[in-house]
Amino acid sequence: MSKPGGPGAGGGPTAAAAAAAAQKQKSLLQRVDTDIANIVDNFGLLVNVARVNDLPVRNAQEAFQMETRAARMVQAADSLLKLVSELKQTAIFSGFESLNENVERRIAEFNQLEESSDRLLQRIGEQAAVSLNELETHYYSSVQRANRQVG
Amino acid sequence: MDGNMKIDLDKLPIKRLEAIDEAGNEQFPPDIGYEEKRLNMIRRIDFSQVMERDAKKQKSSKEAVGTQAWPWQSLVENLQLAQQELSIILDLISTVEANDAVTVAGMQRPKQLPHESLSDIAVSAATKLQRLRHLGRYFKQSSKSLEQQVTREARFYGSLIRLQQNWKVKRQRIGLSGPGSESFTIDLLDNSTTDLILSSRSLTLSTVRIDRDPAGILTVQLPSKLCRSLSVEFPGSHSRRKQKGFVKGKMLESGLYPQEDKKEALTDENVNERVKDSHLILREIHQSIFQEQVFDLVNHESYNPSPGVNVIAMREDRLHLSIGQETSVSLFLLPSIEEESTGRVESNNQAQIRENRISSTDSLGLSALDENFDSYTRNYLNFPDPVSLEIFLQYLFHDDVFLKSKDRRNDGCNFLGHFCMTIAHRIFSRKVLSLLEGLVEGIPYLHLLSHPTWHSRISSWSLSLKVPQSILRSSRRIKPSGSNDLKSGIRSQFNTKVVVNDDQINVSGEGTPGLVGSLRGDYSDSCSINSYGCDLVDLPVAILHQVANQVIDWLHEEALIVGMKVSRDFLCLYFDLEQGETLGLVANVDAEDIHGCISWWLVFDDGSMEEGKLAAEDGEFRNRRFLGHLSLEALYSTLMDLVGFCGSGGSH
Repeated sequence: MSKPGGPGAGGGPTAAAAAAAAQKQKSLLQRVDTDIANIVDNFGLLVNVARVNDLPVRNAQEAFQMETRAARMVQAADSLLKLVSELKQTAIFSGFESLNENVERRIAEFNQLEESSDRLLQRIGEQAAVSLNELETHYYSSVQRANRQVG
Repeated sequence: MDGNMKIDLDKLPIKRLEAIDEAGNEQFPPDIGYEEKRLNMIRRIDFSQVMERDAKKQKSSKEAVGTQAWPWQSLVENLQLAQQELSIILDLISTVEANDAVTVAGMQRPKQLPHESLSDIAVSAATKLQRLRHLGRYFKQSSKSLEQQVTREARFYGSLIRLQQNWKVKRQRIGLSGPGSESFTIDLLDNSTTDLILSSRSLTLSTVRIDRDPAGILTVQLPSKLCRSLSVEFPGSHSRRKQKGFVKGKMLESGLYPQEDKKEALTDENVNERVKDSHLILREIHQSIFQEQVFDLVNHESYNPSPGVNVIAMREDRLHLSIGQETSVSLFLLPSIEEESTGRVESNNQAQIRENRISSTDSLGLSALDENFDSYTRNYLNFPDPVSLEIFLQYLFHDDVFLKSKDRRNDGCNFLGHFCMTIAHRIFSRKVLSLLEGLVEGIPYLHLLSHPTWHSRISSWSLSLKVPQSILRSSRRIKPSGSNDLKSGIRSQFNTKVVVNDDQINVSGEGTPGLVGSLRGDYSDSCSINSYGCDLVDLPVAILHQVANQVIDWLHEEALIVGMKVSRDFLCLYFDLEQGETLGLVANVDAEDIHGCISWWLVFDDGSMEEGKLAAEDGEFRNRRFLGHLSLEALYSTLMDLVGFCGSGGSH
């Protein structure tokens, strides 16, 4: 949690970013609170409406009320989900620390890969040279060469 | 409603006694209708309460007054009252029925009967239950859809995170900055090399949009028509390669996973597969961008002329260069072919075909029966492999641009110049090699060995001449180490090294110096390593001279060992016979001779002839004898045969 005026708030952009982050955090928390309160309230009302009344004349009204409440609950849940996905995005795109870590890791990986490839190529080259040498020597001491010599 | 309410239900409402008169006659009420009955019942409920209260009062009064009152008295009174009331009501009803100027001004709703109210309650409870059930269904449905949304998002963001581990993912907000309106792109551009000028093509190619399909699976749009790959070709040589295509990338096309989409039964494996495919596509695009960058840099460098490199033709995607006098090469960007919705089976077939093609090209080198063999070998012999050149070009670009290794080339050549020089060198070194191979073919006792130099513009071979073992070698005679002891005693092989640097041939070998040395007349230093440059035309003769020289050297050494009186000239070995006569063993080199490049003559000189006349006068077969193309063993035995003559001469 980044607080404005904290130790990292020395520079201008940092302070501004911290303030913006705090603002964002606040608004997110507010949204969570609103959504959850919405769900709870609507559920309470729904339970209230569920009581069987003496007066049957209000049936249609009650039915409509129930539907509305239910829709509001679902909407609030959906909004919560959206919030979660937003949080996920933020985590993906603003987790610079993990991103940098990842980049570092990849760099190390690639360097390792490069080294091993270099080694591999070198080894292949050496092997090829040795094999070539062997094959050439073999050829010059072979029957084919001897036959050619005779011919 | 307090707890003391009582409901009095008559069990026999029909045979109810209405009244008993003084005479004791029972009077039954007439049959009454439903309405009346109901009203009566309502009355009864009312009265029961009143009765109770009255009873209580009476009880208390009875207690006060005493017990002499008749116990049924109150009942009788009540019944009478009821009868009166009923009669009034009946009157009223009949009046109303008669409609005799009586109007109902206002009527209280009659109080419901218990079972009625119960049934009412039951009905409304049932209605409510139905509503609640309906609501439950609604909740279930929406929870299901929300669940799906959750899994979709988990899938998508999971894939996105996995892509992000390898690629630069960017978020773009389109229009309103509300959630859900984002689109994600992947930036494939490497902006670490800011000095690299990028074409607009690379820029358009570098941004790849990420799409989310309804199942939440991440898909990458493939601009396959834009993807091109770099290719090197030599004009006149037919490229045996086919265009590269995105084989695997086709899996991402919609319609390849129809059953999964329908069933919504996407397992993790499917998602993994998709992510892998996305990686694959992105790699392809990345590669294509890289190759475009290489081509762009080549284009740019072609403006700065390098020595020997000229631009012949230039188009948007093609560059034709001439290197030196006779070589030309063209570099071009090849659009990748699109295998249009052929499906996986088809692509498998393609892969199979491709494999077959590869294996057939592999076997080309071995099977002379193949009809393509001639053209293949011609191409192979004349030009370096275009694929390796492509790899080399990319390697150079990588070194040049990304690693900034400027110190690697200090000959003033730029990136393109170096590349062209390499091509020229490769072609030239192939010529040298084929020439050397021809020579080795002609001289059976010569061995050609390749020495990889690990440098693109230097090639090196060595020709080794292995001499047969001396018959005196077994005795291991320790010869006072003269000038020719490389190891201990007599060497067993002579080496000639051919190094080609760009288009400079350098031949260096052990043995007597070649033509230059022979002009100086200095043969004393017989093991000196002589080194000289020559061109392609002179190379065979130079090599042959060198080799013949080495053979002569060897024979000379051997002759000295066995104690013969010998002297040597450039390509001759003279044996001193008696009375000033000399017998010469002369090597004749001819690179064009198909039977053998080195042949031997035996020349007898009795001292009366000038040396110079030997070659000039063909008719004098008396003094010359053609020995033919002798092997080293034959030469050695010839030498040993001559020991008898020379030995006597020497001892004489």
